[in-house]
Amino acid sequence: MRVLALLPDRCTGCLRCELACSYVQTGSFQPAKSVIRVSPFEGYTSYAPYTCTQCAEGWCMTACPVGAIRINAAGAKDVLDDRCVGCKLCTIACPYGTIFYDADTHKAYKCNLCDGAPACVEACPTQAIVYREAETADWLGDFAAERTARLLAQEVA
Amino acid sequence: MPTRHLIIGGGTAGLNAIRTIREEDRGASEITLVSAERPYSRMVLPYYLGQSIAESHVFTATPASLAAWKVKTLIGRRAAALDPEANALTLDDGTRVEYDDCLIATGSRAARPPIPGADGPGLHSFWTLEEARAVIAAVTPGRRVVMVGAGFISFTILNAILSRGARLTIVEVAPRILPRMVDAGCAELVAGWLTRHGVAIRTGVTVTRIEERRGTRILHVKKGEALPADVVIMATGIRTNLEWLRDSGIDMAEGGQGGILVDDHLRSSIRNVYAAGDVARGRNLITGAPEVHAIEPTAQEHGRVVGANMAGRDVAYRGSLLMNIVEVCHLDIASFGQWDDAAAEVYTAVRPDRSQYRKLLFHGGRLTGAMICGPAKDIWTTNDVGILKGLVQSGVDLSAWKSHLERNPFDIKPAFMATHNPGRLLPQTVLGRPSSSPDLPQSVNA
Ligand SMILES: Cc1cc2nc3c(=O)[nH]c(=O)nc-3n(C[C@H](O)[C@H](O)[C@H](O)COP(=O)(O)OP(=O)(O)OC[C@H]3O[C@@H](n4cnc5c(N)ncnc54)[C@H](O)[C@@H]3O)c2cc1C
Ligand code: SF4
Ligand code: SF4
Repeated sequence: MRVLALLPDRCTGCLRCELACSYVQTGSFQPAKSVIRVSPFEGYTSYAPYTCTQCAEGWCMTACPVGAIRINAAGAKDVLDDRCVGCKLCTIACPYGTIFYDADTHKAYKCNLCDGAPACVEACPTQAIVYREAETADWLGDFAAERTARLLAQEVA
Repeated sequence: MPTRHLIIGGGTAGLNAIRTIREEDRGASEITLVSAERPYSRMVLPYYLGQSIAESHVFTATPASLAAWKVKTLIGRRAAALDPEANALTLDDGTRVEYDDCLIATGSRAARPPIPGADGPGLHSFWTLEEARAVIAAVTPGRRVVMVGAGFISFTILNAILSRGARLTIVEVAPRILPRMVDAGCAELVAGWLTRHGVAIRTGVTVTRIEERRGTRILHVKKGEALPADVVIMATGIRTNLEWLRDSGIDMAEGGQGGILVDDHLRSSIRNVYAAGDVARGRNLITGAPEVHAIEPTAQEHGRVVGANMAGRDVAYRGSLLMNIVEVCHLDIASFGQWDDAAAEVYTAVRPDRSQYRKLLFHGGRLTGAMICGPAKDIWTTNDVGILKGLVQSGVDLSAWKSHLERNPFDIKPAFMATHNPGRLLPQTVLGRPSSSPDLPQSVNA
């Protein structure tokens, strides 16, 4: 399946992915509502984007009591708005922290791979997010470990 | 002859088992469902009460979808006695159903305390669809609703009662609200928030007697003034529906109130009899101890594991994580795992001005429990719930991060990423195979 490969070494923290994502997902430019979220590291000198892994078993999907989460044509788990009751069970079931609740619409929402044409990929000027055939993976672990080592060393000292 | 599976109870666990059997065997076996009620999701009832969904939205299967799954149904019938030696179940009307293996998933029901007047007519519980319909008819604008019990179930229907225009008072015998979901500090913050939103909360109050006086119910209390109410909802705990198994010989804790003892495949003391959901004393993921977790995600996972095992796979269950989330008046409250553990090392942080609260509980480097509270509008609240669940679930060693988290219990995301949690979590699954889209009915008028 084609997935979002996240390549944090290329991320400059410009947040264009968040803008594009929030616009496609919610119809307005509000980075706070993006489902791809960029985290700062090392006192805002490096950054990494993070979003749903589209994990195969789909904790969010199997947790939904009303079957509101489905697999779309792109293979992404997707929330059906008219079916979602806003109970938030999916948000505590997903151990990756990548399904959210929109307090304005009272619905859950998440990355649906924009049905096969991800807006974040289009928006990223440095190709830090690439939509390609790959096994889903821990894209950020090594980067985050390296970029937090100094912080932790300082704190212990 | 195809294997004959018998599912007793068509709630969350029963339906998840049926769906999983069919995902595995594509219809090769025989399935019979015996259920006192039509299949629906209890945890969706609060949204029906709050009028944000129609009644049809609560159903998880219809006669048509069950027929499509090739399930024989005996709906409206109760299991009355199980004879494991003869592999047969007797129903309340005397019908006998034989099986090769069976699942007990009869769930729980609302319990009333032994207070004079507490079982009288006109007093409500909120657990079944039928009870929900009665509450819907009773709770109308301006009515004085008194809810007895400030536990999780009360909190799941709180918004709905307010949205119906009623005036709400919550009475709790314990000195604080949500005694089994959050700690005292968090409870205080939530109680303050609710008071500001117009909910009257009276804790440490023992109701001694409930009487009716010309259509009004009077709740007499041990100390202080009696409370008048137009509608009384008793949310005072639940009991497992296991009385019918008394003579079956199946091992249960506390005569059934502690659930059916199960192994890691969710088999009872009888090999071809499984138990799942609220009635099963399954393994706790964190402690490994056998425990009843009467929550939706446990019933779902139990049901799926049983379904796979009934269909011939060999799936051991790692255990369930206690977890709850509830939103009251736009304040999110969630807890995970062993949040109430006196032996744990505990880090807490409060931002009283923003109604935010965090609690992290450690055993050595391992996060064994967590609590989170904050306004639903605040993206940091919703951002972090799943990450906290992931950290508790993965059991990752956070030793290197403890001093950072002690100082900043709110800053969990870097720790989550730097300890490679996504990589650890990817192989941690329940059934070890990709799931398909749930085959739930889209329009349920049948
Ligand atoms: C209002 C409300 C809100 C809730 N909110 C949440 C929430 O937000 N999060 C959460 O985790 N959990 C929540 N829960 C709890 C959750 O609904 C239960 O834990 C879950 O339904 C348990 O599933 P189960 O399959 O074990 O039992 P149930 O879903 O209760 O199903 C049991 C089935 O067995 C049938 N039955 C009973 N006795 C017999 C018999 N003798 N013979 C045949 N059939 C029988 C019943 O009719 C029913 O169909 C809520 C519950 C309620 C009532
Ligand atoms: S939101 Fe979470 S549980 Fe759902 S598919 Fe994505 S990673 Fe998996
Ligand atoms: S919030 Fe919506 S999508 Fe998530 S579990 Fe509840 S109903 Fe399903």
